[in-house]
Order: sequence, then structure tokens, then C-alpha cells
Amino acid sequence: MDLLGQLVEQICLGQQERVRELVREAIEQDMAVTRILSQGLIPGMDRVGEKFQTGEYFIPNMLLAARAMKGALEILRPLLAESGAKAVGKVVIGTVKGDLHDIGKNLVRMMLEGKGFEVLDLGMDVSPETFVKAVDDSVDIVGLSCLLSTTAPFLRDTIVALDKAGLRDRVKVMVGGGMVTQKLADDVGADAYGQDAALGAVKALELMGGAR
Amino acid sequence: MNGKQRILTALRHREPDRVPLYIHAINEKPIILLTRDLIPDLPDPEKTFYDMTDGEKFKMLEALFVVHEHYGVDGFTALEFGHEQRVGPEAVRDGWGVEYQLNRFGLPVARHHPLPERGDLKGYRPPAPQKENLLLLLAAKARFQDRKAVFWMMRGTFVLSWRLCGMENLMLKMFDDPDFVHGIAQMTFDYNVQMLDLLVEAGLDVLIIEDDIADKNFPLISPDQFKEFINPYNRRLVETAHEKGLKVIRHSDGNLWPLLDILLDTGYDGLNPLEPQAGMDLKKVKDYCGDRLCLLGNIDCIELLPEGGPDEVRAAVRQAILDAGQGGGLIICSSNSLHPGVKPENCRAMFEAVHDYGQYPLRL
Repeated sequence: MDLLGQLVEQICLGQQERVRELVREAIEQDMAVTRILSQGLIPGMDRVGEKFQTGEYFIPNMLLAARAMKGALEILRPLLAESGAKAVGKVVIGTVKGDLHDIGKNLVRMMLEGKGFEVLDLGMDVSPETFVKAVDDSVDIVGLSCLLSTTAPFLRDTIVALDKAGLRDRVKVMVGGGMVTQKLADDVGADAYGQDAALGAVKALELMGGAR
Repeated sequence: MNGKQRILTALRHREPDRVPLYIHAINEKPIILLTRDLIPDLPDPEKTFYDMTDGEKFKMLEALFVVHEHYGVDGFTALEFGHEQRVGPEAVRDGWGVEYQLNRFGLPVARHHPLPERGDLKGYRPPAPQKENLLLLLAAKARFQDRKAVFWMMRGTFVLSWRLCGMENLMLKMFDDPDFVHGIAQMTFDYNVQMLDLLVEAGLDVLIIEDDIADKNFPLISPDQFKEFINPYNRRLVETAHEKGLKVIRHSDGNLWPLLDILLDTGYDGLNPLEPQAGMDLKKVKDYCGDRLCLLGNIDCIELLPEGGPDEVRAAVRQAILDAGQGGGLIICSSNSLHPGVKPENCRAMFEAVHDYGQYPLRL
């Protein structure tokens, strides 16, 4: 198997140390950093997402793979910056006001990074005003996570706040989380709904026009 | 039949005089809205229990009992009280050293975990169960005598373990340090088994092992990890509780289909709360294992109880009884807690519909 194929496989297995070795090897071989990313790491995380959606992988496997990806990005990021490579898009993400559950949001962040997005994670219990403040010209998508039905009204409140701030036409809004359904996503006026973390990242890419 | 007889008969897969009604958990707001015509001067429904004065807390206890008495609810859930200390305006710490942030509805969410690494176990002393923390159970037994079945909500191995070391960390430790995960699980089991002695002494009827292990799509960990790290400890709890003469219910949110055979093999008497949105279709579950597991739950608290109307709720209760009531083994309950978003008129409709449609022999 060639080096990039090994990288895909080792990301999928979540073998952080092996992934870092392979990335270093690729750099030593003068492989373009964008190629390492787009043909090694991202396909690796894509495969993880697929396995998650088919029920072969579970959250712990995703965490392991994301840790390996993070290890690789630590090496690659300075080189990516030097090369002037651009992220697929930028997503601002957080759990809505009142919601203190973050594992789902963290998984979405990991899967988005795995697709080459830049992610600004605002954390938990994020007020509509904080989301609005975080949206500048560089932001393409706002991702809202919500586990509890009691905090669901803040999905709508956040989208309304973006609208009032004149930002709604400029950014796409994605929603997801424990109690969110496609129906609720439609009701609150979101542009996309991710049934799970992997699908959320796929939808984000679709919102960007499938660009990679 | 009284409520306790009704619940225990359904748990034995026989038909009681009617389908039993149960509340697994209920928040402050619905308690107040359901009883404010019956009890004067209840606290503001937006106030959380943590922010109430001692006098208001006593009133809430009375209101909670009245919900069960007035609406003919057959089972009462008790849980530990007094094991938490306030450590900030919006935070509490339990006897394990786990700190929780309170959301605006007073729901505590674990934020600080005392045992993230193996080294943290050194010098750590787990708490011992305290009889005085069974206050709610003792009060319920005194109030209802043996007229209602009293349930105890015991946190299971997965929930206690992740609270101690953090959920993502626990999941990664299953790969990195399996012995550590087993060590934590054993510690939680030891606590729970000691607690069982106190509960039996206090007259408990039904144990609920509350151990959320799934989201609406999938289990949170793989079935193999579940079998290795979690279920053996819960299984020993079930066996110990059975030896002590208790019935045991398994509570977990989410889609449990991938784990259902393991749960069946573990020997639980019942399963709760059967979330429709997570694929836990009542009829499907009944057909699959209704002869082995009593089913408690399924009346949708995500969309129906907050947004539907009383007629729709009555229809849902009737359908649930049609789908799973024949022969016993069904206890009607919402698909999770009666949270602050549910409409009181819908709760009333659910309670009343069980009395209207649930009489055995069923004539629907």
C-alpha cells in the first residue's frame, strides 16, 4: 500500500503515533502538504464517517480517529499556512443557550475539521448575541447544537438574531443534536440538518457547494 | 388492586385490573402547573428546586405526592437527595467529587471530573451510601404505605464512570487503559451494591438502573465495549437486586436495538423509556421481546406532550395500549421526563386516558 493509502488506513484505525510518522515521512518525501491533507487525512476521516453512519464504528472510534487527525494537523498546520492553502470554509459552532451538553457538538467539530473546514468553537451555553458577534466576513456557516427540548427555542432565537443583525443572507445555518429533527430544523428556518456528526459534516460541505 | 399491586402484576407479565400509570421523572414546572389548583401558594413555576427556600421545597414534596395521588399514578420514583453541596451560584458537587453546572432549568450537567487519569485514583476515597440521602424514598413509603410501588433511580456503571472521568476521556481510555476503566466501574458497582442494602431495608419495590447508553441513532459505545466495560457490572447489580427480591428496570434513552439482546440476556424485568424518535417503536419492541420485558414509556415527550393537543395524547395512549397492553407487561409513562416544556393539559390527558382505555380485559 502506498503512503497515502496507509495514512487513510491508520487514520481510520485511530493510530495517532503511526499517523504522525507517516505524515513526517510524506513531508520528507517532499509530498505537497495539501496532497497529504486531501488524499490522506481527509479521506481517512471520510471513511470514519461512513463507518459511523453504517453502525460499524461508534463514538469512541471517532474520537480515536479525530485524535490521530489532530496529531497530524499539529505537524501540517504551520506548513499549510506557509503554502497559503485555504480551508474549505469556516464554521462557527456552539451549543445553544442553556444547553450544557457538548459531546455531540465536539464530534461535529472533529468531523468538520476532518473535511478540511476551519472551525471556531464557541463552546456551550452560547447566547444568540455571542453567535452574532462571532460571525465576521470569514464565516460561511453557523452550526447550532441542541440536546434538550427545553433549549430548542434558542435555535430559533439564534437564527432570528442573525437575521436581525443582517447576517442571515450571508451565512448558512446548520442545526443538529439530540432532540433536533428535520421537521424542527425546517420550522426554525435552518438551511441544513445533520442527523449525526458525520452527516452534519457532509451537509456542511454541500452548503459550500460541494467545494473541496 | 392498588398501584403497587398493579405495577408488580404488569412486571410479572400478567394483566392487572388496568394498565398501570407511572411517572419516571418530572420537573418542578409541571409539578407546580399540575397541582396549583389543588395546593395554595406553590412557588413560581420558573423557579428551580435548587433556588427554593426550605419551606418551598417542602411544598414541592407535597405537590409531587399530590400529582401521584390526584391523577392516580401507580408508581413513584425516588432518588438520592442531600448528596450534593452547592459550590457556586450555578454549580453543585456530589459525594464523588463530581461538579455539575446547573442549566437555567436546574438540570445539573457534570463539568468537573475528579478522576481523569489512573494517577488520580491514588488517595481517592469513594463516598459511602448514606441512609439520610434516602429521604425521598422514606417519605414516599410513609406517605403511600404500600398503595403505590416505590421505584429508586440508581445511576448505572456507564453514567457514574463517565461522570468520574469525563465521557470522551472514558471512551478513549477504553482503548488506552482498559484496566483503569474496569477499576472505575468496579468502584461504582461497590457503591451501588452497598446502596442496595439500604434501599431494601427502606422497603424499596422496584430498582431502576438509569444508565443512558445511546443517542437517537446508535449506542454511544460499541456493543463489544458495552459487553466488556459496562454490562458485566450492571448484570451483577441486577443479580444482586433479584436475590434481594426486587424487580429491576433498565432505563436508557436512545436507540437500544443494537444492545437489546444483551439487555435481554442480562435479566432485566422492564425497559424504559422507549423513545419513539429513537426507533423504539412500541409494537416492534413488544413483538420482539414483550414476553420477556415489561415495557414502560413511549408516550412522546419530545413533540407530542409539548406541542400536541389533549386529543392527540389520548389517541397515543390508546394506541400504546392497543400495541402492547394485551396480556400485561405494559406500564404507561412518557418517553422520558415530564420536562418544563410539556403542557399540563397534555399530562392530564395522558393520565386520564390510561384510566379510560386501560381497563382489563381490554376493549379497544
